[in-house]
Amino acid sequence: MRMYEGLFLIDNAHANMEWDTVVKHIQDILQKNGAEVLKTEKWGEKKLAYKVNGHKRGTYLIIHFNAKNTVLVTIKRDFQLSDYIIRSLIVKDDKIEDVSQIGIIEGPPEKEAEKIPEIPAIELLEESVEPVKATEGV
Amino acid sequence: MSRKTLNKTSKCRFCRMGVDEVNYKDIQNLVKLTTTQGKLFSRKRSGNCAHHQHSVKISIKRARFMGLLPYVT
Repeated sequence: MRMYEGLFLIDNAHANMEWDTVVKHIQDILQKNGAEVLKTEKWGEKKLAYKVNGHKRGTYLIIHFNAKNTVLVTIKRDFQLSDYIIRSLIVKDDKIEDVSQIGIIEGPPEKEAEKIPEIPAIELLEESVEPVKATEGV
Repeated sequence: MSRKTLNKTSKCRFCRMGVDEVNYKDIQNLVKLTTTQGKLFSRKRSGNCAHHQHSVKISIKRARFMGLLPYVT
């Protein structure tokens, strides 16, 4: 058994009308093939970078699951045959320990990286100011 | 003598951020590593280390397949 992450691009026409049935349809395909669904998450509706099978917009769904590597071929074929799914991508995801911590990264680490250099810069300024005052006194 | 002080901070942005592997869903960072045409910046231009440039290459190709990033604009 191994942990995988599946990203699914779902037809907006189905996603708006019958989201629950679409999610259940995908989960059923996984469970039918002996996979264990860990977490299901809706990423939201997005505009696509290019037309995919004539679709300009689509809704993304992320599912984390445990499965045997031998079953993956049949799972992928079932997703290709499905009417709801435009595209699917399954990726190995062994590095995550906590399933509760799974989320979509939205840039905060970069803001932290920008903030860190600010603090020493202020300290340096304060240090540089003091000797100037001393020279003025002399 | 001065080489140690020069190389104190890494050139690679992902090394500085402490990222192990680049995620293909992290589009905000991946867009910065592509040209206006949608091509991937060279290692010289992006400043990435070998490990992270390889990881960026894979994740951009995954994002393109899922319609998150363009192949060509």
